[in-house]
Amino acid sequence: MKIGVVGKGGAGKTTVAGILARSLAESGHRVIALDCDTNPNLGIALGLGLEETARLIGIRQALDEGSEEHAPTVPELLERFGAQAPGGIRLAVVTKIEKPNSGCG
Amino acid sequence: MIRLALVGKGGSGKSVIAGTVARLLARDRQRVLALDIDTLPGLAFSIGLGRIPDAGMPEELGQRREGQGWVLREDISAEALVDRYALDGPDGIRFLQLGKLPGHVRPGSTVAFRHVVDSFHAPGWSIVGDLAAGTRQGFAGWAGFASLVAIVAEPTEAAFLSMRRLAGLAETMPAIRIGIVLNKIRGEVGIRTKLADLGIPVWAEIPYDESVAVAEREGVAPIDVAPECQAMALIAGLTTRLCGLAREEVVV
Repeated sequence: MKIGVVGKGGAGKTTVAGILARSLAESGHRVIALDCDTNPNLGIALGLGLEETARLIGIRQALDEGSEEHAPTVPELLERFGAQAPGGIRLAVVTKIEKPNSGCG
Repeated sequence: MIRLALVGKGGSGKSVIAGTVARLLARDRQRVLALDIDTLPGLAFSIGLGRIPDAGMPEELGQRREGQGWVLREDISAEALVDRYALDGPDGIRFLQLGKLPGHVRPGSTVAFRHVVDSFHAPGWSIVGDLAAGTRQGFAGWAGFASLVAIVAEPTEAAFLSMRRLAGLAETMPAIRIGIVLNKIRGEVGIRTKLADLGIPVWAEIPYDESVAVAEREGVAPIDVAPECQAMALIAGLTTRLCGLAREEVVV
């Protein structure tokens, strides 16, 4: 299954997403957690810790900047850019904006 | 007279602080332009306007120009737009919604209205702009009108990560002053030492206040229904501090 968690700022999307991911993983599912927030902190909710979460790079940025070759498959993207979070969850950040003018407005 | 942008993580309380600061400035007989730059607007509630209809400006006022992207049409001045499209709020505030335009619009067209705030320089006006949650708008230049940027944050680890990222705004905006407003504090502020390492001053520490939460639940301005509560007093202190910082700029 694929679950998207949406809502207004501060509603608790990240917390809910993190708990959902951990719960699914604990009940035996293989789980990919995608942080689609441009100010990503799902890693913290998953238990990855602040610095590990901060270190994750956005897949989109890495590809845009040309520092990485395009991986041909989704599993390869996850392998190359993702991080291993507690519970065996594979976490990846889709797009991250932490530099001036890196967005489109 | 201040030009203040509020940024921060979702749910940190940017709108409540923006709305209250704007109201306090207006009560201090300043002319105030309050801007809801959020793509999911909500500042109208904290200002005391309640639920408003689609309040943004029509997309036709912007145009896409080769090499420049979305800009305002040349025959329109920012002052005229504010005059024509801003809503009248309590205490004489003028309120303008910029982050969301009415109806369905073309992608990116809201950027045209960034030029409204950038080029609004009517003398004697204070501007308080409430940005969308996260880092995207700030780093795309939406705080460019401001000389003061308040990062509003709850004292959490995730908020600290956001603050650390937002601190990078100083790179593009060397002239601005950035400060932190710690909000909704309950119990110990464990991140105090980390904040000191960040090198950004803490402008205010505001505790979690049930009166503010009730006002938010009802969609009314906390300053209208709970003017005596502790959070309001501390936001008043913040406002005084911001005015002081702005005065220093003038002197320098």
